[in-house]
Amino acid sequence: MAGSGTAHLRNTVDAVLTARDLTVEFRISKDKIVKAVSGLSFDVIKGETLAIVGESGCGKTTLARAVLQLPPPNSGEVVFDGTDLTQLPKENLRSARTSMQMIFQDPISSLDPRMTVHQLIDEPLEIWDRGTRAERDERINTLLNNVGLEPELVLNRRSYEFSGGQCQRISIARALALDPRMLICDEPVSALDVSIQAQILNLLQDMKDRFGLTMIFISHDLAVVKAVSNRVMVMYLGKICEVAAPEVLYAKPAHHYTKALLNSVPIADPTRQRATELLQGEPPSPMNPPSGCRFRTRCAAASALCADQEPQLREVTPGQFVACHHPVA
Amino acid sequence: MPKFTKPTWFAFGWLGLMLFFVLFGWLLPFKPWSFVYENDLEVGLFSSGHILGTDSNGYDMLASVVAGTRISIFIAIASVGLGGLIGSILGIFSAYLRGKIDTVMVTIFNVGLSVPNLVLALALVSVLATNVDINQAVPTWRRVMVLVMSLTIVLIPILGRIARGATLSWAGREFVTAARSMGMKDSKIILKHIVPNVLPALIAVAFLAVGVVIIAEASLSILGVGIPDGASWGGMIARGRNDLEYAPHVLYVPLVFLALTVISTNHLGDVVRSKLDSREAKV
Amino acid sequence: MSSLLSVKDMSINFDTPRGSLEAVRGVDIEIPAGMSVGIVGESGSGKTVMCRAAMGLLQGSNVKRSGTVVFDGHELTAMTKEQVRDLFGSGMAMIFQDPMTALNPVRRIGSQLSEGLRLRLGMSKADALARSKELLELVRIPNAAAVMKSFPYQLSGGMRQRVMIAIAIACNPKLLFADEPTTALDVTVQAQILQLLRELREDLKMSMVLVTHDLGVVAGNTDYVAVMYAGEIVEYAPTTKLFADMRMPYTKALLESIPKIDHKSGTRLDVIEGRLPNPTDRGAGCSFAPRCKFAKEKCHEEHPELKRDPDGHLYRCWFPIGEAL
Repeated sequence: MAGSGTAHLRNTVDAVLTARDLTVEFRISKDKIVKAVSGLSFDVIKGETLAIVGESGCGKTTLARAVLQLPPPNSGEVVFDGTDLTQLPKENLRSARTSMQMIFQDPISSLDPRMTVHQLIDEPLEIWDRGTRAERDERINTLLNNVGLEPELVLNRRSYEFSGGQCQRISIARALALDPRMLICDEPVSALDVSIQAQILNLLQDMKDRFGLTMIFISHDLAVVKAVSNRVMVMYLGKICEVAAPEVLYAKPAHHYTKALLNSVPIADPTRQRATELLQGEPPSPMNPPSGCRFRTRCAAASALCADQEPQLREVTPGQFVACHHPVA
Repeated sequence: MPKFTKPTWFAFGWLGLMLFFVLFGWLLPFKPWSFVYENDLEVGLFSSGHILGTDSNGYDMLASVVAGTRISIFIAIASVGLGGLIGSILGIFSAYLRGKIDTVMVTIFNVGLSVPNLVLALALVSVLATNVDINQAVPTWRRVMVLVMSLTIVLIPILGRIARGATLSWAGREFVTAARSMGMKDSKIILKHIVPNVLPALIAVAFLAVGVVIIAEASLSILGVGIPDGASWGGMIARGRNDLEYAPHVLYVPLVFLALTVISTNHLGDVVRSKLDSREAKV
Repeated sequence: MSSLLSVKDMSINFDTPRGSLEAVRGVDIEIPAGMSVGIVGESGSGKTVMCRAAMGLLQGSNVKRSGTVVFDGHELTAMTKEQVRDLFGSGMAMIFQDPMTALNPVRRIGSQLSEGLRLRLGMSKADALARSKELLELVRIPNAAAVMKSFPYQLSGGMRQRVMIAIAIACNPKLLFADEPTTALDVTVQAQILQLLRELREDLKMSMVLVTHDLGVVAGNTDYVAVMYAGEIVEYAPTTKLFADMRMPYTKALLESIPKIDHKSGTRLDVIEGRLPNPTDRGAGCSFAPRCKFAKEKCHEEHPELKRDPDGHLYRCWFPIGEAL
């Protein structure tokens, strides 16, 4: 696949975020344009966690940043809470961004090394002038307690004194400071050890339940996403392959790419038969994506049709949308 | 109290002494610099009344070198300060804003760097610090100002490029994106996140630049377009050259001052650099 | 079965301003010839330090070592640096987590790859270049000729790791150390690299030490597994045996904390609370006791020795799983 279409949009009033026909392109030189995201649409419903899964370079991070208008998409609309962010004047956008916060992959680079934990978490509160000094200090303590850190022990230390997992907790506390409605997590656990991954995944889940957050969760690993998501969107080279609820998607992947991703997840059981048909090679350059279905160059089921025509997203089973001419039976 | 090695303490001490001369040199109970001691022409080191001797015109060397310190160090600090300030503002803004502004700025920096420093300074001094009436001497303060200006112009692209490079690497960090996603204004991001992180790198380079500028000033004076009449270290060296055979101390005294100062600033630049690197390694 | 590498009673201490840091404590491990051994542990468990020390790569005045390392009949710990260096390439080779930092960024792949061949095997320039191309094909790099002329930054992470593997196997080493070779890669590329390592090991009859924090990576790729915690080996067994019958609560907890694709969605993961103990001060009892769900008084007071089941399964626990109390 990798096709276009909007069949999977639910058009409900509960949608917190609806992105339509987003395109993000970067010009590297006169005749070289990276097509990072091409005509992609998706929506996220209140209280839902949408997982966006794909390999490095599939445009998932660019997509998340385009939602926050960092930088804004080249075309398309991002409707958050009824307002189209792409049309918003700079000043309004600044305040709109506070209700969507981002957690980054590299826990250390996302914290300014010169600032203490207190300053880091105080920063958003200070920008928006939330409460008096005493109220803000109180709030900082609550936030740190929420993410499982002891305020007295951490407040005056700087990010490089902490492990990756602790830095990620600090990032989460900071992101929650402004009471956002939506959290965008960009590979929040990829840089962490397996044992710490589970702690952070559980923490994110707790925070979501406790504060009624809506979440976008980006990862290259389908196994990580399974525990936290309500809906999974698989991306390849700037387009959508498949969208479905995790129960359906993991049990009966309809797209060949989804199936290949599932096959690559390591299984912690030496007696289990390992998948022999692994996805070979790497994605082609986003500067010059294949015609038709963008996945066809690595797809075992590809036919002439796939080169000619771009598949559109369609519903194969209720709630499962796939963009493929020859879906997995 | 941080632990320093002996050379570092020496560098601090020496530069402290130089700063003391610059600020309070006039308070010292010396023989005045401008006074000529005709009875003590070219006496050597440790003569009575003249610890560092006198030169061929009968000026007291200690008084001369202290007066020279004031001018040389003033020129160095003023031009590095000004050049650093203007250069880093230009560099930081152009790197943060990117796009056309950045392209233009980089081009300007590159053009500035491609002009040989001394030639540029020479040209500026000879145009701006000459009098129409050749019989009237150009006042020293005007020479100093022109030198500061020309050295500043030389330093702007050098320091500006370093500020730009450092800004590029810091602005790409995710905490800058995080600050923007929290709704922080660009001006505040630059002040709170970029400047404090870029500053240490600039300070390290500024120390090295002070040394370079002191040498540049001396070179210009030796070439005869700097500060005349032995009023700066370079001027003293220029003058002392002639007496090298029979009164080497006239040359060596300013030379030793100059060398120790440059070694000290370079050393401190390295110390700041390595402190910075070890912190960077943890980040 | 003869062992290719055997490490006996290895301890590594680092002198730091905050006191002596015990990175590795009394580790014994054997790598049987032709086998693949996984070393699993969290960051800071001492797994990487142990491997570097076994290869003689640990240097510096602040490092204190004890114990012996015997590789293929040579006692490395009694050899000079030059003698150990001569073993690299044809004896032992290593691949790292981050192939970008291990490759020289300003030299073309072809010249980096052929350099080792000319230096080690004394090949002519033309032979070395031809062999380099073969090696790139051996690690399944498509379009090897073009890659020879590329710089490292022009390649993807997966391709760079393949190049590193090509460099490592250039002189047919008997033992390959792979230190988190796939941690920085996407799952799809990780699967490819692991498959490649399996195939190469078979073709070249090479032993391998696979260091990783992920038990999932170890499962299909190793014959034996050693689990390290706080500088010690806490469990060691043949891989199938370990997964079938875990004795050490830490290993079990590590396995349970992995997100799995057959995990029911929306359920919480089991986590190991807390963090590794402070390496400058490891307390008296079992190192894992503060985080262990089953810890009893004895665990906090007495340090358990490594116990051996009749079938060779080793574990360091007073109350192993599956033993009647």
